[in-house]
Amino acid sequence: MSLLQRDRELIVANEFVKEFDFEETKEFVKNASKNLFTSHKFRTNPTKTLVQPRGGFPTYDKMFALYGEFQKVGVDIFPMTIDSNTRLNDYAHAQKMLKLSEDENTDLLNGYPLINHGYKKTRKMITHFDTPISLRHGTPDARLLVDMAIASGAFEIEGGPITYILPYSKNFPQDKAFLYWKHVERVTAEYSKLNEPINRESFGPLTATLVPPVITIVIQIAEMLLSLEEGVKSFSVSFAQTGSLNQDLVMGKVIRKSAKKYAEQIGCGDATINLVYHQWMGAFPRDKHKSDTLIDMGAMIAGMVGANKIITKTRAEAFGIPTKEENGQAVKNVKYILETLRGIPNFVDEEEEENLTRQVDEVFEAIFNDKADTLWRKIFNSIKNGIIDVPFSPHIINNNELITVRDDASNIRIYKKGKLPISEKSFKYEQSKLNLGANPNSVVNQIIKDIGVML
Amino acid sequence: MKILKVVTGVVGNDIHVVANRLIDISLQSRGFEVFNLGVNTYLEEFIDAVIETDAKVLLISSLNGEAEGWCRELHKYKNHDKLKDVVFVIGGNLSVGEADVTKLIPQYKEYGFDLVFHQVDLMDGLEEIEQYVKKRFKL
Repeated sequence: MSLLQRDRELIVANEFVKEFDFEETKEFVKNASKNLFTSHKFRTNPTKTLVQPRGGFPTYDKMFALYGEFQKVGVDIFPMTIDSNTRLNDYAHAQKMLKLSEDENTDLLNGYPLINHGYKKTRKMITHFDTPISLRHGTPDARLLVDMAIASGAFEIEGGPITYILPYSKNFPQDKAFLYWKHVERVTAEYSKLNEPINRESFGPLTATLVPPVITIVIQIAEMLLSLEEGVKSFSVSFAQTGSLNQDLVMGKVIRKSAKKYAEQIGCGDATINLVYHQWMGAFPRDKHKSDTLIDMGAMIAGMVGANKIITKTRAEAFGIPTKEENGQAVKNVKYILETLRGIPNFVDEEEEENLTRQVDEVFEAIFNDKADTLWRKIFNSIKNGIIDVPFSPHIINNNELITVRDDASNIRIYKKGKLPISEKSFKYEQSKLNLGANPNSVVNQIIKDIGVML
Repeated sequence: MKILKVVTGVVGNDIHVVANRLIDISLQSRGFEVFNLGVNTYLEEFIDAVIETDAKVLLISSLNGEAEGWCRELHKYKNHDKLKDVVFVIGGNLSVGEADVTKLIPQYKEYGFDLVFHQVDLMDGLEEIEQYVKKRFKL
C-alpha cells in the first residue's frame, strides 16, 4: 500500500465518517457521467463563459431545492458551499447544528456539512442533477473533505494552501497548509487518471481589498504550479473584478499568458489551464438596484475578458445569504448579458501588459532563487520574508508592508512596495500613475475611498 | 520628539482586519511606533504587549460589537505599575445592535478607558487621540 493510501485510510477512520469504500469510489469515478466533469464542460464549450452562482444550505432538502432552482435557470456549474464548522474540521458542532436545522426547519449553518451528510446520500443528489459541482470551502486541512467530495461526484475542487489561508486565518500554520494541500493535489491527480480530469481551481479574490494584480497573478500561478507538479491535469486560475475595466482586461491577458509560460517551464505544458472571473468581491451597495447594475457590469466584463467561467453575486450581497430565487434571478441576468454581448472589440494596452508581465516575472525570479529545495518551501519562505505580501491579510505571517491605492482611472497601484522584489523600472511605472500630495494621511483617506469604490 | 509606542489590535473573536490595517498605517504616519497585534486578540494579550513594549497608549478596536464582554475587566489590570501612565482607548462598533451613546460611553469609561469612540469616523477619532496624547505627555 502506498504511503498516500495509508494516510487516506487513517483520515477516513474518523468517528463522523459512517463509511468510506475506496474501491467502490474508484469504480464510481471511472464510470461517472461525463456531464459531471467541469473539465469536460470547459473542453466542449471552449468559447463560452460558463455561469456558476454561490450557494449552500445545511439540509439535504434545501440543497436539493436550490439545485432545482439552478437547473430551472440554466446554471452551467452548481456550487457546493461548505459550512464554516466543517472548514475548521469541527464535525461535531456541524452535526449538532445540522440536526437542529432539520428539526426546526431553519438554517443554522452557512453551508452544506458534507462530512455529516456522507457521500452516498450526497452522490444521489449530484447524479440526479447530472451537472458539474464545484466544491467551495476555505478549509486549511481539506484532506478528508476532498476525498468525500470526489466520492460524492463533485469533480471540481476550489482552494489552495495560500488562497485559503492568508485571507481567512490569523494563525493557522502556513507550512502545515502547504503539506495538507499537497495531499489534496495527489488525491485529485489519482482520481484524474480514471475518467475526465478533476478540475482544481484557485481562489483569486484573496482579501478582495485593493490587492494589486501582480500579487494575485503570482499567487494564482504559484498554486497552479504546486498542483500541476503533483499530476493535476486541469486547473483554473481566477481573479476578481478590480474596479477598473482596463485593469481587468490587462489582467485577463497577462494571467493566461504567464500561467501557460510557467506551466511549460516546469514541464507541465500538457495541463489545461482555464480562466475564472469573480464578479465584484468588495463592499456591495445596500441599494438593490445598484447591486443589480454592478452584477450586470461584472457579467459584461467577464465576457470581454473571455473568461471560461464567471462566479456570480446577488442583489442580497450586502445583507446576507441570498434566497434561491435571488440567486436564480442574478444568474438569469448574467446569462442574458453573456448571450447577447456581441462584437467585443480587440483590446490591447501594450504598456500595461508589459509592465504587469515584467512585475510577475520579477517576483517569480525572486521566488525561484530562494535557496530551499522544493517549490512549496520556496513559496513558503517568500511569504515569510515579504516577497509575497497580501494587503489586508489577517494572518500573522503576512508582511503588511505593501500598500496600494487607486489612480485617477481606478487602477490599483503600488504606493509602498515593502519587500516586493520589483525593479526600479516597474516601481517607477506604478508611482508615475499616482498623485497623492504631501500629507501622509491623505493616503489613508484615499484607501478608505478606494475600498468603498462601488458603494 | 520622543517617539511614543502604541499597542493596537482587534479584541475578541473578530477577524475584521481592514480598519485595523488603516489604524496601523495612520498611526505610523502620525509618528507613533506601532505594535499591531492584529485581529482576534484577547485582553490579556493586549496587556502583556503593553508591559513588554513599554507602550504609552493601548488602542483596542472592535467591529462585531462584542467588545463589551471582552473589556469590562480592564480596571483589574490597571493597578500594575507599568500601566499607571498608559492611555487606554477603545473604538469601533461598541455594541451589538443599536445603542444609546449617552449611556454607552460612560459605561466604557467605568471599565477603565480614557477615550471611547463609538461609530466615529476613523480619521476624526485618530486625530483626537493624537491631540489628547500630545497634551497628556506634553509633546
